[in-house]
Amino acid sequence: MANFMQDSVVKYACSCGILNPISKLFFCRHCPKLRCGFCVCHEVDSNFCSNCLENIPSSEARNKKNCCANCFNCPCCHHTLSARATTVVVQKKPEEGAKDGDGAAGADAKPDPSKVITKKMYYLSCLACRWTSRDVGIPDQSVATGSWPDNECAYQTRFNALAEYYQAVVQQDKQERQEYLRRKTPKTHKFPSLTDRTGLTVSIIRRQMGWSDKNTQKAKPVNIAPAQNTEDVGQLPESIFTQKINLRNITTVKQRHNQPCEQPFTINKLYPQRRGLWIKRSLRCRECEHNVIKPEYHPTSVKYRIQLFASYHVPDVLLVKCDQPLKAGEPNAVILKLSNPTLHDMEINIVELPTEEDELKLIEEFKRACTLKDTSLTAATAMDSLKSLTGSPSLTGTASLTNTSLVRQTSILEEPRVVKLKVNSKLQPPEASFILNLRDDSREFDDEPQTTTKSEPEFIVSRKSNKVYLSLKFIPDADLKTGDDVYVGFNMLYTYVNTVTNTPEKKEPTTHVLNCRIYVQVGSIEA
Amino acid sequence: MPPAESNDVKIMNKSIVCEDSTLRGDITISQGCVIHPSASILAEAGPIILGENCIVEEYATIAYRLTEEQKRQKEEGNLEPCPPLVVGSNNVFEVGCIVEAQKIGDKNVFECKCYVGPEVVVTNGCVVGAAVSLKCKQVLPESTVIYGRDCQQREAIDKYAYQTLQIDFLRKVLPNYHHLRKPNQDPKRTRSVV
Ligand SMILES: [Zn+2]
Ligand SMILES: [Zn+2]
Ligand SMILES: [Zn+2]
Ligand SMILES: [Zn+2]
Repeated sequence: MANFMQDSVVKYACSCGILNPISKLFFCRHCPKLRCGFCVCHEVDSNFCSNCLENIPSSEARNKKNCCANCFNCPCCHHTLSARATTVVVQKKPEEGAKDGDGAAGADAKPDPSKVITKKMYYLSCLACRWTSRDVGIPDQSVATGSWPDNECAYQTRFNALAEYYQAVVQQDKQERQEYLRRKTPKTHKFPSLTDRTGLTVSIIRRQMGWSDKNTQKAKPVNIAPAQNTEDVGQLPESIFTQKINLRNITTVKQRHNQPCEQPFTINKLYPQRRGLWIKRSLRCRECEHNVIKPEYHPTSVKYRIQLFASYHVPDVLLVKCDQPLKAGEPNAVILKLSNPTLHDMEINIVELPTEEDELKLIEEFKRACTLKDTSLTAATAMDSLKSLTGSPSLTGTASLTNTSLVRQTSILEEPRVVKLKVNSKLQPPEASFILNLRDDSREFDDEPQTTTKSEPEFIVSRKSNKVYLSLKFIPDADLKTGDDVYVGFNMLYTYVNTVTNTPEKKEPTTHVLNCRIYVQVGSIEA
Repeated sequence: MPPAESNDVKIMNKSIVCEDSTLRGDITISQGCVIHPSASILAEAGPIILGENCIVEEYATIAYRLTEEQKRQKEEGNLEPCPPLVVGSNNVFEVGCIVEAQKIGDKNVFECKCYVGPEVVVTNGCVVGAAVSLKCKQVLPESTVIYGRDCQQREAIDKYAYQTLQIDFLRKVLPNYHHLRKPNQDPKRTRSVV
């Protein structure tokens, strides 16, 4: 648990070569490999407001500029504002009071002139810094939500004009590029025209393919007044040199950035800001496109539908202690605690890290495998899409494969790299493998102590349910100086039982031998 | 109970002082005050006079301590009596705050777990935010609000909201669940006696 909040001394190398604590890693069961934040696709599942927990569809969220309609942030300290109610005495005009009394009571001939009517009025208040909407003169509202005025900034029209202009520019750019592509690709008359077979008109096909209709007008950006630069920025007022500045009336940089369209200079122009929406995101393995994380849809739920965190699948390594004070060139040992989070026994073998050449070779091999897979994939999909489009399976058009617009885009893989951290000690790996028992939550309630049936290898210090304490021998490099951090690295081979299988024919769980590279910062050289 | 060497607690009527509170030294609690259980008021150096309608919540501490210099003087036996620490009216001392300020005006709020050191002068209408710690010698100008981790300051523009509702509620509820110290002073009667 300790490594959730702070930087861990035990780091795992992701399959891409980036080091991470286990709490930040995912485990794709289909690959099966470790994945870090760079090796997964981040997808927005849903937008919601973190204050009122309302789920907002993505189109509506875009419409509302990704802000909640009902919640506001304090412009002063960025805390959430809360609506507070006050009762205000409404002074009734005499004739109005009489009318009211007649209507309500009827028989009650004499309405009490001293009767006062109270009304609830709301204002926004910050519980952290005690800023209120009254501070900037926003009138109190009779309903708590929905009626708060939006502060229109002075540049709103200019901003709208610019946005419109650039949208038109983008549109024009797109059209021109399509036109150019259309002209560049040679017309092939080898195949019968699509319209002959299906009776579709050209414009329908164009629309289906995502192209614009030919006869639509070209979007022409409207002319806007370009921004003018000016030399004259005005002089500072004389008072600034002579009078003391009251810093309390001047906004901080953070407050100005929080209100980007005005960036007010004084605090009396701070207005409540609509609260930005949060997202729930799902993560997808970039290699096999399976989900590794999928949250539950509802904003109030903190659970997951799919949660393949590495700490549920990969043995957790914790540094317990170093045997002796660290000295350069002197043999030492480190006690590590390994625990098995899965429901299957694991066989663990600790070996030395691959050398840099080996690592490079592995990366090369991996890349080759990827490109092979990619080309076969693109060829297949291209063929498929061609077949479905023309309806004739006899096509053997290798030439048409160059038409890339038909091919589905494959996700970009994270470039694998060599692990940056350099280990500066020599590991003496244990000579035998050992078993890490499965996790059994009921075992903890057993009274009788576990009986050790077979003799343990000598590097195992102790063993308790699914945990093993082992001592790992190493020698820090001789050229280390006092105060240098000592890193020990090892390659941990472990057996992993995969209960989900990719092929439907094979229902038996498969056992893989997986490896992960682990780097432990054991401490610094003592004086 | 601590050694009652000179515990002289004067409680005006209409104030609610729970018995579990720690009151040490010469303390005057004015009308309408509410002292919660486990609150402490420590008048070490001199008398403390708490103004009207103050709320001192649980684990809040108001202390008037001797400085190092004064401690030495006391040991030598030539300490001159200190002037009383006068706390103004309508102050709120929230849960767990420690206030050792040398002067406290009216309508201040000391939020939860804040600390105000002995060299601070608090004027009127100030708010010391939750967990804010003021240690250096300073005078808080009127209507100062200090908030957040970085102890940012701003000036409160909106006027102070009176705690009358809260005081009325506490006055109703606290006697149901706690033993109270009996008020031993009635300003009207003392005046008539004098
Ligand atoms: Zn990665
Ligand atoms: Zn909201
Ligand atoms: Zn605020
Ligand atoms: Zn995968």
